[in-house]
Amino acid sequence: MGVAALMTQSDDVKATVEWAEQFQGNYRLMTAAEKAEARARLERRYSAQYSKKVTVDTSEALPGVLMGYALNIRKCIGCRRCVNACVEENNQSRGKNPGERIEWIQVLRMERGEFSKEKMNEGYPEGLGIQVGGNAYTPAGQVLEGQYHYEPALVPEKDATYMPIACMQCEKPPCVKVCPVRTTYREADGPVVIDYNWCIGCRMCMGACPYWARRINLTTPVLPKAEMNPVTHYLGNRPRMRGVVEKCHWCLQRTRQGRYPACVEVCPVGARKFGNLLDPQSEVSLILARKNVFRLKAELNTFPKFFYFYD
Amino acid sequence: MKKLTFSAMLLALWCGIISSAFSQPTQPPEITCFESRKGASEVVRRDLQPGWPNVKCSPKTGAVLWWGDPFDGTVPMGDMPTVENFPTGKAVVKPRSEKIALMPMCAVACHNGVGPKFNPPKLPTSKMPTPIPTMAAMVPDLQNLQHGGGRIWCLDCHHTNQRNKLVDNFGNPVSFDQPQLLCGKCHGDKMRDWRDGIHGKRIGEWASTGKKRWFTCTECHNPHNVQDGARNRGFPQIAPEVPPQLPWGMKDAKHELRHGVSH
Ligand code: SF4
Ligand code: SF4
Repeated sequence: MGVAALMTQSDDVKATVEWAEQFQGNYRLMTAAEKAEARARLERRYSAQYSKKVTVDTSEALPGVLMGYALNIRKCIGCRRCVNACVEENNQSRGKNPGERIEWIQVLRMERGEFSKEKMNEGYPEGLGIQVGGNAYTPAGQVLEGQYHYEPALVPEKDATYMPIACMQCEKPPCVKVCPVRTTYREADGPVVIDYNWCIGCRMCMGACPYWARRINLTTPVLPKAEMNPVTHYLGNRPRMRGVVEKCHWCLQRTRQGRYPACVEVCPVGARKFGNLLDPQSEVSLILARKNVFRLKAELNTFPKFFYFYD
Repeated sequence: MKKLTFSAMLLALWCGIISSAFSQPTQPPEITCFESRKGASEVVRRDLQPGWPNVKCSPKTGAVLWWGDPFDGTVPMGDMPTVENFPTGKAVVKPRSEKIALMPMCAVACHNGVGPKFNPPKLPTSKMPTPIPTMAAMVPDLQNLQHGGGRIWCLDCHHTNQRNKLVDNFGNPVSFDQPQLLCGKCHGDKMRDWRDGIHGKRIGEWASTGKKRWFTCTECHNPHNVQDGARNRGFPQIAPEVPPQLPWGMKDAKHELRHGVSH
């Protein structure tokens, strides 16, 4: 069928593009002409598939830009608007069956702890009887204890703190190191991206990522036509296929065109900030200069470009 | 059980929206959703282009989840002496004064200096709290307003005889579209952070010189209920969006409490 389609220049859009896609190179190794061809092919197929005009951006990294992100951990109220904005923007699968809903951001609910003088010597995890460093009231080896499935009527709750996590766009990304087909890599302006066509779904990157940032499409993605976002980027939110890994890419289709990521725009408390780390006047640079900043799991030397801060 | 009914309701709502979107793609039902918090700016959903709405709203909470055009319905922020070095014309706001329902009436019906003959017959002129039955209906706890720990009262923020205006330190009127000129009187550090984009919310272009829609103080904070009880975070409690899907084969999320992390 595929061969026939290729040989006869068939009008069957789906068949021809799928055949061509099987033989395209790794996105990074494609020539400009090959990229343009791939882009035209995808725009034709997606437009037919979703019954609207779909664009596939292939713009390159912006010169003089190193994207950075900051999140005010004291402000986050755990409302999960960022999570859902991300799904709306980035064409994730949103079916009802198990495994059919994919979210890149996770908001973690944590009990408020206390470090009081009276508890200073209580750092022995129950049942283990050994001190495992600091004020470890719970067994070591677990980090980020908390809940993702909290369902209170109203947030923020009195005794909880919320910690959103997503891809940290590491400067030294372990996910890139382990990828056997080199489909995931760091772009020159910062974000770590995936060429979905080259992903073989081996999930090495999922195992390597210390921030649980990556998701795999185990089922065929469910993306209703009406909800599909037609403004896409090749390395960003274009529709994915079954069996590939995906993750946050700081809304490449928006940020390469100058616009804030969707999660930044939707956060009702303004906890999320985005900007150019190389511009001293950008929001993120000013935060790094003025506020108390930390990076998650800094001890792993992944050097995230995602900073948590508080004031 | 509660969870089940809840998700069933959600599902029904969700399906309803999808099916209606499919059955009449040209005329989606009119949806009004709120931007930051309920009671502040609202926006009506419409299509900017076919398949490209101005906003997407949450079927669960009614909050805006996505902006198609961040500058839809905005006007230039205007004279902003406190925002130095920001390119003029690149800062826009959504005007609020005309949207506040009772605003046009304030100065015309009651605070025009004449006023109807209600009891007490005179307009309050002192800053000391007095009972005002007409206002207490709109601002509960009026006599014990906790803003500033109970140290301030109506006339510290509202202009004495132009009640559709706020007031600065010198008694000059301040528009409801620029509440930062009022709030910055006390919250100078927050004002500075807001000006530099560290505090508060802006949408539009991320470059430090880019065009942005600025959200002003009262779009996110309710100045009449700023402490919000025990939480005291300056932001009212709101309903959260739907939780993530449970992992394969899990019927509930109890495992999170046992092992800490779901992977
Ligand atoms: S957070 Fe995980 S997925 Fe993102 S760059 Fe780092 S290792 Fe890779
Ligand atoms: S939208 Fe903002 S406040 Fe809500 S969960 Fe996300 S980061 Fe937290």
